Amino acid sequence: MIKKRIQSLLLHLILIFLVVLTITPFVWMLLSSFKTNAEINAIQSSFLPREFTFSNYSSVQSRFNFLRYFFNSLLVTLSVTALVAYTSTLTGYVLEKNRFRGRNAVFTLVLATMMIPWFVTIIPKYSIMLKLGWLNMYSALIVPAALSGFGIFMMKQALASLPNEMLEAGRMDGASEWYILHRIVFPMSRNAIASIVIFQFLWSWEDYLWPFLVINSESKQVLAVGLRLFSGRYSTDYGGLFAAAAISILPVILIYSLFQKQFIDGLAASSVKG
Amino acid sequence: MKKAALWMTLLVLVFTGCSGGSSSGKNLSEDTTAQKNLPVLGENVKFDPNILINDGKPIEVEFWIWDAEEIFQEIIDGFEEIYPNVSIKLVKQPWQDYWTKLPLALQNGSGPALFAIHNSQHENLINYLEPYDIDVEDLKADFTGVEGHVIDGKVHYIDYGMMTGSIFYNKDLWQDAGLTEADIPETWDEFTSVARKLTKTDGKGYITQAGFNYNQDVKSIIMGLNYQKGQMMFGEDQRTINMDNPITVENMQFLIDLYEKHEVGSKDFGINDSESFGQGQSAMVYKWGWFYNALVNDYPDINFGVFAMPAPSGQVPFAYDRYNGESTMGISATNSSADKELAQAFIRYFMSNDQAMKDLCLLYSVFPAKKSLVENDEVKNHPVMKTLAPCVDRLIWPGPFPGIIETQMQQTFEEIIYNGADINAAVRAGNESIMEDMKGSEFVSTERRYKYINEL
Amino acid sequence: MKDRAFYLEKIFSPKNVVLLTLGLFYALFLVFPVGVALVGSFHNWNPLRGTFDFAGLDHYTRLFRSPLFWQSLFNTLYFSVVVIAARLVLGLGIAYMLFSKMTKARGFFRAAIYMPVVTPLVAVSFVWLWLYNPQFGLFNQILGTRHNWLFDRNTALPAVMAMTIWKDYGYAVVLFLAGLYNLPKECYEAAHIDGASAPRIFWHITLPLLKPMTLFIFVTSLISYLQAYLQILILTNGGPGTSTYLSSFLIFDEAFVKYKFGYASAISFVMFFLIALLTSVSFKITYFGGSRD
Repeated sequence: MIKKRIQSLLLHLILIFLVVLTITPFVWMLLSSFKTNAEINAIQSSFLPREFTFSNYSSVQSRFNFLRYFFNSLLVTLSVTALVAYTSTLTGYVLEKNRFRGRNAVFTLVLATMMIPWFVTIIPKYSIMLKLGWLNMYSALIVPAALSGFGIFMMKQALASLPNEMLEAGRMDGASEWYILHRIVFPMSRNAIASIVIFQFLWSWEDYLWPFLVINSESKQVLAVGLRLFSGRYSTDYGGLFAAAAISILPVILIYSLFQKQFIDGLAASSVKG
Repeated sequence: MKKAALWMTLLVLVFTGCSGGSSSGKNLSEDTTAQKNLPVLGENVKFDPNILINDGKPIEVEFWIWDAEEIFQEIIDGFEEIYPNVSIKLVKQPWQDYWTKLPLALQNGSGPALFAIHNSQHENLINYLEPYDIDVEDLKADFTGVEGHVIDGKVHYIDYGMMTGSIFYNKDLWQDAGLTEADIPETWDEFTSVARKLTKTDGKGYITQAGFNYNQDVKSIIMGLNYQKGQMMFGEDQRTINMDNPITVENMQFLIDLYEKHEVGSKDFGINDSESFGQGQSAMVYKWGWFYNALVNDYPDINFGVFAMPAPSGQVPFAYDRYNGESTMGISATNSSADKELAQAFIRYFMSNDQAMKDLCLLYSVFPAKKSLVENDEVKNHPVMKTLAPCVDRLIWPGPFPGIIETQMQQTFEEIIYNGADINAAVRAGNESIMEDMKGSEFVSTERRYKYINEL
Repeated sequence: MKDRAFYLEKIFSPKNVVLLTLGLFYALFLVFPVGVALVGSFHNWNPLRGTFDFAGLDHYTRLFRSPLFWQSLFNTLYFSVVVIAARLVLGLGIAYMLFSKMTKARGFFRAAIYMPVVTPLVAVSFVWLWLYNPQFGLFNQILGTRHNWLFDRNTALPAVMAMTIWKDYGYAVVLFLAGLYNLPKECYEAAHIDGASAPRIFWHITLPLLKPMTLFIFVTSLISYLQAYLQILILTNGGPGTSTYLSSFLIFDEAFVKYKFGYASAISFVMFFLIALLTSVSFKITYFGGSRD
């Protein structure tokens, strides 16, 4: 009994230590966002702000079009996430539940796309955007991201555990393939979709290079790129940067906490079956 | 059904987002009166406001800059006031991103019609530059240094002035160390001893105040120091980089000694020299003219002064430093002819407008190229220009060399200072890298046109 | 009319829609770009100067001779190996702790550990840039030193790796946790009845069963770390000197700073080849080499 107690205590101590290690930078960032720049840059600095100021937060909008960046990020990320969730489920379903020749070849191709690094395609992709006249448009951020090899892979794995009898029952009742997809497959794979939503939301939200290259006007730029504006040519506004960073992580944390349960279950169902 | 509705809303959002272009929010109206009875500006380069732009129909263009939005906005406001049908939207991209984004944006026709230029990017931009629609002889009559920019009888941009480096010092720290105006150093030895007095350490031996900090700008100082000792940057052919020489090594050693032997600063103290000076933690830095206004804006509490680069000995050196031309803006060659017409008019407005020119020169502490401003009192009394005026005669212009030279040099010096690389080997490797990167470049240096070149 | 609807449905069946979309999408955003890049890697390609001159194998021979290429490749492998190893070990260890029935407040620990994962890398990098500052940074204040972490050749890359591990280990924790929840309970019960000790169960039952999940994490990590560049761009910009250049940062530098698109494409292809090779090798080792329990 005592041995169990000690084990349990030790376990919690290790976990608490790890959590402290993990969240210290966040706490430090949050506290510093209430410090003046002079205090942030003082050689003798303290953990708690000596004089508490909200000016970093209030000036985030006036010095830099924060809301606009935030809205753009949200719009692009939501669109991409929704599209990817839909196309992944649809494609995963076709590749798992429809039998046709060349199915494995198609799946292999999808897997291969995951291995192609961004830097191989980014230069020609840029010129395609140029040709299509999509530079500086949301479509340049959304359309090329609408299909995800990772998402298709995850969904195909998850759908393997969906019993074929349910689909057959639907077909017997004369339901169309689309009906089956929307009314049976989608609701049944809620958990797997949730895990894709979380991954995809995060990836889109923090995507940097592509929006940096294709978006020129401030009114369409996304937050991840905008955050770099705090670092000027000769001074970095750390107070403002921390305030903006603190706000920018909110949506992702929100999405995560909303979908947390489905996320873990979805990963368990979809991830890997060898 | 709810889901379908959500999808539709999203799609609508996306497409309205795509099509709803960015408008500046300014209400543009048709311009119907060509003859506005406004005076024509300028002596030789003239701007006539009594001509319609784009036949008076509304037109919007972008103007890209990396800095100084207030001044450019003022110039734009003055221009837009004449033309109710014109809107010029300023777009600021941070300096480190500007040169990645601008050339890409110019490839399609919907990029900025006007954009700020730095001559280190000449070769990347020249294909996208529309020549100025101004007679070169008129330009020569109003500006100095036009010749260097003429290509096939036209210019694509000229210099509005020349910028150079100097030592910025913190007057309060100076006073605390018991120094006076009389202590302003004229030789590097004097400089070193002043820097030592300006350095403070704490009980553990850590620096708390650096006398001199060069952490982000080694390359610029070395270029200046090399010229002081008569070491040219390019070989006899005026094309081949010549960084691999004993003088570079000697000057590099001097900078290292400042930190390691004289301990007037440290590579680990104030990793960004500009910021550290602004925070009052480094007493002296070597910076170019733009730094003056950056300090006034970003660090209004710093009480600072400026003095010219010290020399190797008490005598007048071969040269004090190098200078570079600050360029007027470029016109995009890929934009529509209406955009170009507007941009050409704007250039004329800018070039013939003494007030705008002067503001820009003062902002960056730039010696004006416009002849009518050379004797201007405000320009002459600007602290930086006043200090540097006696040395201007002895500044060398290497020409608009590609930006990769500076980038590579900084990398080489970091190898030496931070990574402890052997100076000779690092300088040789750096020189080779630059040669590799310059393959295909058509750059020819102008450093041998220097007035006192015969003293070599 | 019914016929028509029937045929329409046949034509626009999910299968056909998917195949058509995949075909179009991959042709436009994959096959074509890869083709262009491949052709471009044999040319002196500078879109700004409008040059596209045949260069043969020049770029490939140049890169194999370039010390910077090898250095950044070495850095990339060093970076990837350490970060992936840490991610797997930490991920499995912590997931196992969270899985234990002894642990209370699992939801809290899980959420806290996952927080860095869901924070944008740009924001994280800026925060750490400042945590590493020799004068004002938290690390030096705790240690009582003035070490210049990011400007010291010996600590710069490890500092970037430390940040990356901190940011990403939670991803592996959550995945391993999902894998653990998914394990067949029967095996455990049988083992318990046999009286096997806890470490024995872990090594001989849990670990082999988690093999597919481990491979999944390994491969996705490998693919993403061999392409990492953003943390370098913000934290060190490749410096001091060139000591923290990663391959993808080198590609970014050659393409979008120096505009040597041809050379950048050549490096890209070498990296692409390497990623494909390493991925298939790790599949092979897991499934065909060694023991297959």
